[in-house]
Amino acid sequence: MTMTTEMHRDDTRATPLLSVRAIEKSFPGVRALSGVSFDVASGEVHALLGENGAGKSTLIKIVSGVFPPDRGEVMVDGNPVNLARPDDARRAGIATIYQELLLFPELTVAENVFMGHAPRTRFGRVDWRTMREKTNELLASLEIYDLQADQIVGSLSVGNRQRVEILRTLSQDARILIMDEPTAALTEYDVTRLFEIVRKLKARGVAVIYISHKLDEIFAIADRVTVLRDGAHVATKPVAETDSAALVQLMVGRRIESLFPKIAAPIGEPVLEVTDLERRPLTRTVSLNVRSGEIVGLAGLVGSGRSELAQTIFGVTPAEGGEIRIAGRKVDIRSPAQARSLGIAYVPEDRGTQGLVRPMTVRENFSLAALAKVAFAGFIDRTSERRLAADGVARFAVKTHSLEQVAGKLSGGNQQKIVLGKWLANQPKLLILDEPTRGIDVGAKAEIHRLMGELAAQGLAVLMISSELPEVLGMSDRVLVMREGRIVAEFSRAEATQETVGTAMMGSRKSVEQAA
Amino acid sequence: MSEIPLPPIARRAAPWWLLRHETMLAAILLVALVVLGSLNDRFLTLDNLLNQGRLTTEVGLIALPMTFIIITGGIDLSVGSIVGLCAILLGYSWKSFGFPLPLAIGFSLLVGAAAGFLNGLVITRVKVPPLIMTIATLALYRGLAEGISQARSVRGYPQWFYVIGQENLFGIPAQLWLLLIAIVIAGIALDRTTFGRTLYAIGNNEIAARFSGLPVDRTKLIIYTLSGLMAGLSAVVLVSRVTTTRSDMGSGYELDVIAAVVLGGTSIFGGVGSIWGTVVGLAMIQLLKDGLALTGVKGDATIVVIGTVLILSTLVASSLQRRRDGV
Repeated sequence: MTMTTEMHRDDTRATPLLSVRAIEKSFPGVRALSGVSFDVASGEVHALLGENGAGKSTLIKIVSGVFPPDRGEVMVDGNPVNLARPDDARRAGIATIYQELLLFPELTVAENVFMGHAPRTRFGRVDWRTMREKTNELLASLEIYDLQADQIVGSLSVGNRQRVEILRTLSQDARILIMDEPTAALTEYDVTRLFEIVRKLKARGVAVIYISHKLDEIFAIADRVTVLRDGAHVATKPVAETDSAALVQLMVGRRIESLFPKIAAPIGEPVLEVTDLERRPLTRTVSLNVRSGEIVGLAGLVGSGRSELAQTIFGVTPAEGGEIRIAGRKVDIRSPAQARSLGIAYVPEDRGTQGLVRPMTVRENFSLAALAKVAFAGFIDRTSERRLAADGVARFAVKTHSLEQVAGKLSGGNQQKIVLGKWLANQPKLLILDEPTRGIDVGAKAEIHRLMGELAAQGLAVLMISSELPEVLGMSDRVLVMREGRIVAEFSRAEATQETVGTAMMGSRKSVEQAA
Repeated sequence: MSEIPLPPIARRAAPWWLLRHETMLAAILLVALVVLGSLNDRFLTLDNLLNQGRLTTEVGLIALPMTFIIITGGIDLSVGSIVGLCAILLGYSWKSFGFPLPLAIGFSLLVGAAAGFLNGLVITRVKVPPLIMTIATLALYRGLAEGISQARSVRGYPQWFYVIGQENLFGIPAQLWLLLIAIVIAGIALDRTTFGRTLYAIGNNEIAARFSGLPVDRTKLIIYTLSGLMAGLSAVVLVSRVTTTRSDMGSGYELDVIAAVVLGGTSIFGGVGSIWGTVVGLAMIQLLKDGLALTGVKGDATIVVIGTVLILSTLVASSLQRRRDGV
């Protein structure tokens, strides 16, 4: 707050707190930003919207001093600031809360809040008492009563950890707060609390830049919204003057006809039949089947055992009992390699750690699960490997400037397309998708849904795990619901609604409360 | 996006900075050669260089599988002790069991492979970290070697056996042929085969490698076994060169080997590295040692120089890496 006092009072109304002018930034082979401008006023929540790869991350990295722009400038209070290092941004009053929270799990709330700028005694030692008191003041000012200054951060819930991170930015007198998909890992209850805090910050005159894929959140919390597409500024509008459909169209640059284009496909013979499958603690006497041409949705709360079931079928954690049949033949799957040779593909939940080898190239990732296809007697044939990858890139419309691009540098949607593509190179009979569209943008999501529909139409059997009910309801021919390691309900496409599936997921009223 | 340009890349898909690292190391090596050569006219002679090749073979043979292991993010500290164990068993089985020498050689190679296999088995099945497991077997195998030898050395091998370690074949030291062949095989295996690709995948993301159906455990088992086998081969070459067996043979080899591999640009964190880099690293260390010794630098000063070179190369590598990530 020190800088505003030096300014003329009249100016603060006229000039926005933060203003970004004609920013340009290129990386080798990619133009990330071309002339983007936008501004945030004190007390405003400004949402930044765009597909993955639209340039949001690059923009916030420039504003938070991670790297400098090629051209253009950033102004705070109407004065150009040089943000060469993250520390410069901090001094200008800009703080960023990233998706991955940057906290020290072994330390206390107070230590985390004052990391790097702890209050000192006259003798230069850390003044623990003042630190604790100031932390408590901050907690009280945001009306957070379920957090104590002495708690160890590692023991806190994700929602509380995020609150610690917000406190930390406030302890540094941040006036501009950037939040990068803050609700990605939050429960509904924590989202509500986050919004309360954001409103309090607003009332104090903090400018908030809010990045999210979730349109309903933007309508709930933001004042204005700026849409980016392919590194360019598309539009800035007051939230009150727009609606979801218009925003999606601005983001994608075209109309998305249907979010869930399930093609009616002829349903054939069972490809996967599972009987009384056991793998304690989270797979308990599970029986199910998936037929060719069919998409079976597997719904359930986080921790209900859906991924565990998938990984047991795929041989990561082999079954301890029960029977699996693939195309009518009894099989005993002990490893992913074996599952693969039986025609099973598994697109895992966690793209970054399970699906993709991020430091390797697009080409190497595409061929990873299909090395046998491009190798002769153990020797990789580079020409056919590159053809395989080029085919995949074309078929899935992966945006990459070359096959030798490091896969981890692509956007989430493009990474997911590679993981999906690497498995389809094997021409599987059964495709297990675990949260196939988590954390990817609307456009990429629609494309992945379209692909799923097409694949089923070609006779693939698809088992889809998803925590997004609209996705489950929209894509599935049949919906299975898991709870506590068991399949507790089955609905046909016609029977499955938000209510029936949702109730089955929660179980009794008691477990509803536990879930909340 | 249907027109994806196919870049004309036929070389291994290492990140460009790694290639740069190796190229730079090769350039430094060249400069060092010229400087040391101008200081001493015995240094840059064919005889001397070939002799250095002879001396580096024992470490070199082990450095090849070590490159594989470090690329997967693992480490094998027991190789020096395996050399000792295999050397002792070569002499012991020949002298005390009365094995014919070729059989004794085969036996000691087998023991080397078994020792490595044990490392791999415990690492993959019991999930003991490679560092812990091979520190344990570093002590265990050395202890066995000492127990078996009872501080006695075995000498007096038949004349033909010394060919491996002391004679020339077509003008080149016999064991250097072994090393050259091993380098070519290892280089091709790492660069061109599904086995090599699996190593890189494990080092970069073991879980994703497993989820992609790659044979992660089998591959690890193979490389640790290979490491033991090559340590056994190194022991045979060493015994042939120095004409005797002692239980302290090969002690400290693990550090020479790891130094060469890491100097050659293989990342200790896994995922990055090449045989070509290891070869340059080996040459660098051996020629620095020799060149400095010939120029009259004392042994302890030589070690200081080698340590400094290692630190400098790590600095260069990490600054290149930073520049790349900072883009």
